[in-house]
Amino acid sequence: MSVRFPSALLTLIRELGRLPGIGPKSAQRLAFYLFNRPEEEVRDLAEALIGAKTGLARCPVCFNVMSVGQECCAVCSDPRRDRGLLCVVEQPADLLAIERSGEFAGLYHVLHGALSPMNGVGPEQLTIDALGPRLAGLREVVLATSTTVEGEATAHYIARLLAPAGVSVSRIAYGLPVGGDLEYADEVTLGRAISNRRPV
Amino acid sequence: MKRYTVTDGVVIKRHPLPSGDLVVTLLGRLGKWRAVARKGTLPGGNVGRLSLFHDVTVQFYRRKDEDLALLTQVQLNGALPALSGTGTYSYAHLLCELADALTVDVHLEARVYDYLTSGLRGLASHHDPELVALLYAWRLLGVAGLAPRVGACVACGAPGPLVALDVTAGGLTCDRDRSGLPLTAPEAEEVRLLVSGGMAEALAAAMPGRERHWQLLEAYVTYHVQELRSFAAARRAADPAGAHPTGADQGAGSAEPDARTGADASAPRAGAA
Repeated sequence: MSVRFPSALLTLIRELGRLPGIGPKSAQRLAFYLFNRPEEEVRDLAEALIGAKTGLARCPVCFNVMSVGQECCAVCSDPRRDRGLLCVVEQPADLLAIERSGEFAGLYHVLHGALSPMNGVGPEQLTIDALGPRLAGLREVVLATSTTVEGEATAHYIARLLAPAGVSVSRIAYGLPVGGDLEYADEVTLGRAISNRRPV
Repeated sequence: MKRYTVTDGVVIKRHPLPSGDLVVTLLGRLGKWRAVARKGTLPGGNVGRLSLFHDVTVQFYRRKDEDLALLTQVQLNGALPALSGTGTYSYAHLLCELADALTVDVHLEARVYDYLTSGLRGLASHHDPELVALLYAWRLLGVAGLAPRVGACVACGAPGPLVALDVTAGGLTCDRDRSGLPLTAPEAEEVRLLVSGGMAEALAAAMPGRERHWQLLEAYVTYHVQELRSFAAARRAADPAGAHPTGADQGAGSAEPDARTGADASAPRAGAA
């Protein structure tokens, strides 16, 4: 005769299993882990989840994440930023990655995805329409969408859309990871690196 | 028991996971299967090879009764960077989504793979990707045994003239049994060309009424297969006044359109996309 878990535990496993990358076994392991932690620790986690959901919003200008109650995000409100440069990224995590590089001092525009017709993601599902009003005063738009086919297609689409505005549009370079050996690079990356070579 | 398998396939779906793993759906001669590439979205390794629409040779490992295979090696056979261009991207999605809908995990029909790779090559190289998409969508339906009857009236068998497409009956109808979506005489002939005519002949036809052909295809696929989400983007790409531009831009690294290669072959070629 099989033993069933209590309903509260089953509910927790089911909810954890809905998170991306968490399968049923991982969900069960996490549920038992949480069950064995002190109550205040679990309460802190629950409050952090609720707090993140209720306390965060999208920046009305660039669609980066920001705290509720702010007019715009930390990047958009920073007066030291170069307002003639705009970098278009797919996700807020991409913005953070570029910020960590320390190489870009302009503004951002977060699309929240890439074009994917078979997944029902068209231009309407992204924040592409909001790019138009931001073009005034820009010198250059840097398209930093992923180097996947989806990211490439999104970059082509935006480049075509921005062409009539007369703003310079550039695409981030393709190439090899710093410190990587050539022989371990895949053919596509290596091919792009060679075709996009630059003089030294 | 043989646990490692080496086979060819084209990547028709990609689903990156937050952990950096990548779940891909591949369609090959052995059928369609899902596989996970551990850390497949991280720089290095297989990240470039497992892009959408790439034709790859893979070695995968699958335990008995396990749904998800583990990709252990990936080799790129053919990449089509032109398919990320605005004039082809939506159509490539449509063909892949249709092929995905037409096959099940145990489907052993190699011809779907052959037609899909041929269609993707055609999209990348032909000067009229929209026509390639229409043609190969109808041909994929034919490979799956779902093509409409276009040589004679589906109701009475009369050779013609055929004046409508009856989606539910699965074919063209004559004037006496007229039912379904009405067609002009040139449209009926174009449908016949797309469904069962010579490939080169169909690709050489002008077919000015593309919007009507998209309507017919969408109605037919929706009834006989399922609703495809890519149709919305394909319609937009086909509409010159639409938001999604079409035409000259064939994507990074694309060559000049060459009508002699790709989809204008009289029969689809298997192999690298």
